[in-house]
Amino acid sequence: MTDKVESKYSKRSSRWKLILLLLIVALVVAIIFCLNIGFAPISFSDILTILGKQIPILNRSINSSAVSTVNETIILQIRLPRVLAGALVGAGLAAAGVMYQGVFRNPMADSYLLGASAGASFGYTLAAIYAGSLALNFFGFGIFQIVAFVGAVLTVFLVYFMSRVGNKVPIATLLLSGIVVNIFILALQTVFELRSGKALIGIVAWIAGGFTNITWTNIYAVFPFVLIGTVLAYFFTKDLNMLAMGDDTAQHLGVNTERVRQIMLLTGSLITGAVVSISGVIGFVGLIIPHMTRLVIGPDHRILLPTSAIVGGIFLMLCDSLARIATGASELPVGVITALAGTPFFIYLLRKRKTIYSL
Amino acid sequence: MNMVLLSVDGVECRYGSVKILENVSLSVKEGDFVGILGPNGSGKTTLLKSISRTLKPHKGTILLDKTDIYSMKSVDLAKHMATVPQESNIGFSFTALDIVLMGRNPHMKRFQMESEKDMAIVRKAMSRTNTWHLADRPINELSGGEKQRVVIARALAQEPRVLLLDEPLTHLDMINQLEIMDLVKGLCRTERLIVLTVIHDLNLAARYCNSALLLKDRKVFAVGTLDEVLTSKNIKSVFQVDALVKKNMITNSLYIIPLSPEKPSVPRNCSIHIICGAGTGTLVMKALVDEGYEVTAGVLNMLDTDYETSELLKIPTVNEAPFSPITEQTKQANLKMISKAAIVVVTSVPFGYGNLSNLESALEAVKRGIRTYVIDEVPIESRDFTGGKATALMADLKKQGAIFIKHPSELPTLVNATHDLIELRKRGQAEIPGHMKNVDKPVVQPVGGKESH
Repeated sequence: MTDKVESKYSKRSSRWKLILLLLIVALVVAIIFCLNIGFAPISFSDILTILGKQIPILNRSINSSAVSTVNETIILQIRLPRVLAGALVGAGLAAAGVMYQGVFRNPMADSYLLGASAGASFGYTLAAIYAGSLALNFFGFGIFQIVAFVGAVLTVFLVYFMSRVGNKVPIATLLLSGIVVNIFILALQTVFELRSGKALIGIVAWIAGGFTNITWTNIYAVFPFVLIGTVLAYFFTKDLNMLAMGDDTAQHLGVNTERVRQIMLLTGSLITGAVVSISGVIGFVGLIIPHMTRLVIGPDHRILLPTSAIVGGIFLMLCDSLARIATGASELPVGVITALAGTPFFIYLLRKRKTIYSL
Repeated sequence: MNMVLLSVDGVECRYGSVKILENVSLSVKEGDFVGILGPNGSGKTTLLKSISRTLKPHKGTILLDKTDIYSMKSVDLAKHMATVPQESNIGFSFTALDIVLMGRNPHMKRFQMESEKDMAIVRKAMSRTNTWHLADRPINELSGGEKQRVVIARALAQEPRVLLLDEPLTHLDMINQLEIMDLVKGLCRTERLIVLTVIHDLNLAARYCNSALLLKDRKVFAVGTLDEVLTSKNIKSVFQVDALVKKNMITNSLYIIPLSPEKPSVPRNCSIHIICGAGTGTLVMKALVDEGYEVTAGVLNMLDTDYETSELLKIPTVNEAPFSPITEQTKQANLKMISKAAIVVVTSVPFGYGNLSNLESALEAVKRGIRTYVIDEVPIESRDFTGGKATALMADLKKQGAIFIKHPSELPTLVNATHDLIELRKRGQAEIPGHMKNVDKPVVQPVGGKESH
């Protein structure tokens, strides 16, 4: 038995690589599948041809004469940005969720609970009321995105510093201040909305979350945040494992706990702020995807972080595709789909594995 | 080989403005196993926290090999020092092996996976703590003892020079306690580890540690070898408990027998003499001492259980040499002691030719008018090894007015009543109220020694 344990562990690294490879393949398949969904019927062979044409070297051997330019525009300018945005936002939210849950050793820790969504919504509301006509563009972010981003990041940091005692941040205090700040900002937002009496519909739609107006510019703006943030977080995955043992123990094992916590919090907030700024508030993904993934592949953050990101991407992408076609003409908010689709599956996993799932 | 030295110098810790540790100094060298002792709230855990770099002292320094640990990076300190916390509350369901592998973290680079060498070290640590068979199990499914052994394995996987333990035995049963202490002691001897442990059980500390630090009111009360620190006097002043410190012949270590915390019993100016032996008097002596009486006993053979009790309770006794019959001289000494007593109690001690004279002394006491209680828990016939002489004396005792009771638990009430009567007489009340005349007698007079059990 003992030798079995050892060989299992020595094979762990290659097992992890295999899991990641399979998930990346699944991601690509899912992207192509989602590109197929929509009112204009475009065949898989056309989709592959259009995509293949975009790849240098490969495109020389592809004959695209059979594909209409209209279809090409639909795929490349309408569906692809939207599908990729879903993947990107899902990946970002799930990765940030892993960071928050790891840092705070708490299943309820989530960037939204710490005020990111409230801050972003409030920022968006302010922009809609006072600066709606400002044609600002900053590395692909419009004024709405910038303000939402700043709102999200500032709020998380406000919560963090509010709950700081000495040079430590007790988790209970942090979550409580998060809840309080959330309520406070929601109240402020209501006051501003009612006083202004305008732009209400836009705000409500944005807060419900979705990918209706996604452009390539948005993708270019958000992609670096998600990619760099996740890669940066990967440097600290071993530290996150040890933080699960509690702050003191992590410290005794050589982790600079407070520094890791600050870096993770900053990274998570930047990712959340960035994705929320283009997607609006989409709940559930950051909270549930890391849980689901942990139930299946275990708690080690070295594999949990990348797999959660990919699973989150696939999940949100599929949910968005469903949102596009679910009710015919009018779209369902994607947040509704994520909750409807994810909850039953999560409950199933929880019941099945509850004996080993203790938090 | 370099001498590893941990030195704590003038450490003071505060929470806000409240001092929680004052001026603690301690020097520990390799192979030392130091017990940090003291009552709750005396600062034991605080001291351990400041040594483990969790709670920075307000004043003072903690040096490991002449380097201030607070100037080291936590990862560098973790290569030299491992800590086993009081309780391990682990957030996610890592396997036991995952947990122990984390002990290798300080020795690994950021992106390094565990090498074969790391695995070998981990396997050794887990075999030593008898946890290798648990490697695959999620940590949250393990029992308290198993979990604690896994955490100790993790500490060992760090290959530390200094091991800090914060009440490592709290939730463990006896065999787990002994195994863990044996293991740590072994590491101390073979690997020359420095071990500091916060520990509540003075007997385990006495058995395993080779020196101790005793804290009281957040200050060092005593520090040094066990013989120096674990004295009755120190235990009394720090824990407010009377304790007997003895040497255990089997383990060759000190052992401590705590007595109940001192009760502020009202001293009664009344002496009671107990005739007992073979352990039959132990409970009675303790009960009467607790009631505040001046208790005496005799004649007791030295090394008898009741003799040891009398020593513990600091009761004056008349003694005879071990395993020797009572001589006339000792008997007279005992009678002299009895003559000072207001009450005499005879317990259900077996009588042989060696101690038969104790019964004669009791009879003498009754004849002198001293109120005498005979605890007749075991029928005299079954504990008479004198061919009937003891039984005859017992009958005489009854005839002369000794009061027979069935169980020692009845004694305190009766004795108190007698005491009250004596007090009343002393104050010169000519007439004792009628309803009080028989209060010092059992409600139902048992038929002495006739029933069987």
